[in-house]
Amino acid sequence: MNFEEAKDYLLQKARQIGLEAEVLATETREMSLSAFEGRLEEITQATQGGLGVRVVVEGKVGYAYTEEKTPEALDWAMQEAYENALLQAGGEAFIPAGQALGQHDLLGEGLSAPLEKKQAAALAVEATLRQDARVKQVPRTAYREQEVEVVLGSTQGASGGYRTGVSVLMGSAILERGGAPKQSWNVDVSREFHALEPGKTALELIERTARLLGARPLKTGKYRAYFEPKAFAQLLGVISFLFSAKNVLEGKSLLADRVGERVASGLVTIVDDPTLPGGIASRPFDAEGTPSRPLVIIEQGVLKGFAHNSETARKMGVESTGHAQRGYKGVLGVGYSNLFLKPGSGVRLEEGVLVTEMMGLHAGANPISGDFSLQALGLKLEGGEVAYAVENFTVAGNLLTLLQSISAVGGELEWEYWGMALGAPMVEVAELSFAGA
Amino acid sequence: MLAETLVSDVLRTARSGGADFAELYVERWKRRGMRVLNGEVKEAASGLEYGAGLRLFYGTEVVYAYTNDLSAESLLELTETLVKLKGRAGQVDAQGRGGLDFRKQAAQGLHAPEVPLLAKDRRYRLERLLEAEAAARVAPEIKQVQTQLLEWEQEVLVATSEGKWVEDRRVRTRYVVTAIAQGEGGMQTGSMGPGKSVGLELFELYPPSVVGRQAGEQAMTNLRAKPAPAGTMPVVIGNAFGGVIFHEALGHLLETTSVAKKASVLSDRLGEKVASSCVTYIDDGTTPHGWGSSEFDDEGLATERTVLIENGVLKGYMVDRWGALRTGLRPTGSGRRQDYTFAPTSRMRNTFIAPGDTPKEKLFEGIEFGLYAKDMGGGQVKPGSGEYNFGVKEAYIIRRGRIEEPVRGAMLVGKGPDSISKIAAVSSDLETAPGMCGSLSGSLPVEVGQPHLLISEIVVGGQA
Repeated sequence: MNFEEAKDYLLQKARQIGLEAEVLATETREMSLSAFEGRLEEITQATQGGLGVRVVVEGKVGYAYTEEKTPEALDWAMQEAYENALLQAGGEAFIPAGQALGQHDLLGEGLSAPLEKKQAAALAVEATLRQDARVKQVPRTAYREQEVEVVLGSTQGASGGYRTGVSVLMGSAILERGGAPKQSWNVDVSREFHALEPGKTALELIERTARLLGARPLKTGKYRAYFEPKAFAQLLGVISFLFSAKNVLEGKSLLADRVGERVASGLVTIVDDPTLPGGIASRPFDAEGTPSRPLVIIEQGVLKGFAHNSETARKMGVESTGHAQRGYKGVLGVGYSNLFLKPGSGVRLEEGVLVTEMMGLHAGANPISGDFSLQALGLKLEGGEVAYAVENFTVAGNLLTLLQSISAVGGELEWEYWGMALGAPMVEVAELSFAGA
Repeated sequence: MLAETLVSDVLRTARSGGADFAELYVERWKRRGMRVLNGEVKEAASGLEYGAGLRLFYGTEVVYAYTNDLSAESLLELTETLVKLKGRAGQVDAQGRGGLDFRKQAAQGLHAPEVPLLAKDRRYRLERLLEAEAAARVAPEIKQVQTQLLEWEQEVLVATSEGKWVEDRRVRTRYVVTAIAQGEGGMQTGSMGPGKSVGLELFELYPPSVVGRQAGEQAMTNLRAKPAPAGTMPVVIGNAFGGVIFHEALGHLLETTSVAKKASVLSDRLGEKVASSCVTYIDDGTTPHGWGSSEFDDEGLATERTVLIENGVLKGYMVDRWGALRTGLRPTGSGRRQDYTFAPTSRMRNTFIAPGDTPKEKLFEGIEFGLYAKDMGGGQVKPGSGEYNFGVKEAYIIRRGRIEEPVRGAMLVGKGPDSISKIAAVSSDLETAPGMCGSLSGSLPVEVGQPHLLISEIVVGGQA
């Protein structure tokens, strides 16, 4: 069976048993080309896909998925989903009324370049990196592309699909001076192969790593902090946990009950825009078939609302914002597309620490308590100039206090891709705790 | 899972297309999971994953393909595409002709479950999770309790052009209890998550009433904790999941994935003293029912116990097939991958610091001011610079040799080789704990472990 047939088989089966059901299927084609020492060291070519089913039985919801598309496997999935549903206490679950959503192509000709050009791009990143005498090793450079087909259908009328994809150049390099190596990554993501520039990816990586050579320990204390756009974007990824209506309903968000209140500095406006033209994570509709539209979450410091799927929206008495998220293996959640901190009027570097990169976000930031303590890499600023590089230090605080202490926002947006696209300009925070020597 | 003739055809097609070596990996997983929040099942899900990965070696160059269309046409077409991608189609190798004479090996059931996936019904599972939840509610401040159960059964076949045919079967079960306490200290969390290569007998090995209570108590401790101090100080690290620090600071630096490319600060250092003499570090894939154990690795090699560091001297690396080709070292049964969508790389299995002989109490003696990092979260490392970090879930101040008030939100950072040389003493109370490790070949179950130990100096990131 192909995906379309398998989806129809599952929906047909659900109707026969008298269940409400929704089927989300994805098929991904991927290729990656890694270069090492001037040759293509690893080439990967792949197709993968599966179907996830969400069923509702007497107001209770259950899930199952399968990558095997035989009738036996599909029957197994339907039966498992049904039995999983019976476990729920609930009684309020539902599959939302759907509509015809059409077929959308967000990728177009984005990946259409000959294989040779893509191979050359992977090799060019490596070659450029190795030209620099300070580069001691280049563990990995790669070109990678991914094309995704999403198909959605439900017994409640949802039907539609879209095609999307990305083209990625990445590299990692180790630079050394005085026996103290530094390693960094650089990843450039685009919808269009032709928009990628191997030379730029490589040079940025060298520049970002080289400025950290000769780093000294940072003296423990409180400093003004400047976050480079990509570093703040990572932090925004953690902060986004607080905006999910699912987390609010489960008592896990510090922002519960604070809609309409000032929760951040007046310089802070945070938006999720799934309709952003050329946006890496743009989508025509969400995982339940709710059409996409931009959502302003914080406007000039005031919390305007949360991101919802149909389930959280009904529980909170609002409309879904089109932020349902579900992969075929997953359960219904809330997720963002292109989430960004809106650029402001600019940041002037003075005294403090310029944080260029953060590490350990999954372990060092607790979005439930809001506390964070993160390993950082950066530069010490004195009199508006870079005085020296600093290492082996952490930056700590609380996510909400941080949002409130933002004292300036830069004018240029940069993007990071972490399953969702995260955008931020340079951000200045009045004071944060730094631990070092 | 696949007919022998088809496997043989795929491998021979690859060989006759010029590959030095071909390996087909096939797997089928059944997974079940449920998440219960405040007494209600929030989500229950099941899954069936089924796919194959084909890896060809041309010297040390690798081409890899995966698919979950396992029909004969699809697999043979994929093989031909791969051969063409490498651009050496038509270089017929005489050895590649004729049938393959597979030497078949199957798992002996060393880590087999007592209570398999299909043995008990969903209600039984739910009741155990509810028991854990009840136990976690140690105080009125515990406002939310979430429990999650994950179980899986994975069948694996690895067949190679060298005639290897290995079938393995891995069963794993884990549950995680997270308690959220709310009070004057804001919202604070505590969590515990036992896991083993066992079936539902996990609930007997780690009773929900005990695990739940530990999670609840940790949340309460964090609720009354003050922000952690900041600065460089001596730190005593707790046993069991405390071992995650050396997973990051040391383990990742000893995988041939970075070692062979000279992209690890510990490359080319066999026989050298790289750690304090009280450190012996072992990676063992054979631990009975270990969370990171399996009878065979994902390249079809029997797993083994690998001594990495003995009394401070570097004795070995974790070596996969590619790493063996690049370094000339013997493979150690360390080739692992998350699933068929990843080519294997050298990875840790169950990695631990061997017990020492300092009584635990002695570790604290003489510390004027320091941190007792009792329970740890995860961490991260850059092998090329050795810079690592890890988060602390439960910590206390050490003052004049005594464990005093709790502190929260600490992170430890350092450079691996520097930190391991500062291990001053190792206690005898080795314990292990499960975790998930993310790297090039995906996210894998690994066990970490250690006895209590003292690091004379490390950067503690906190706010106070």
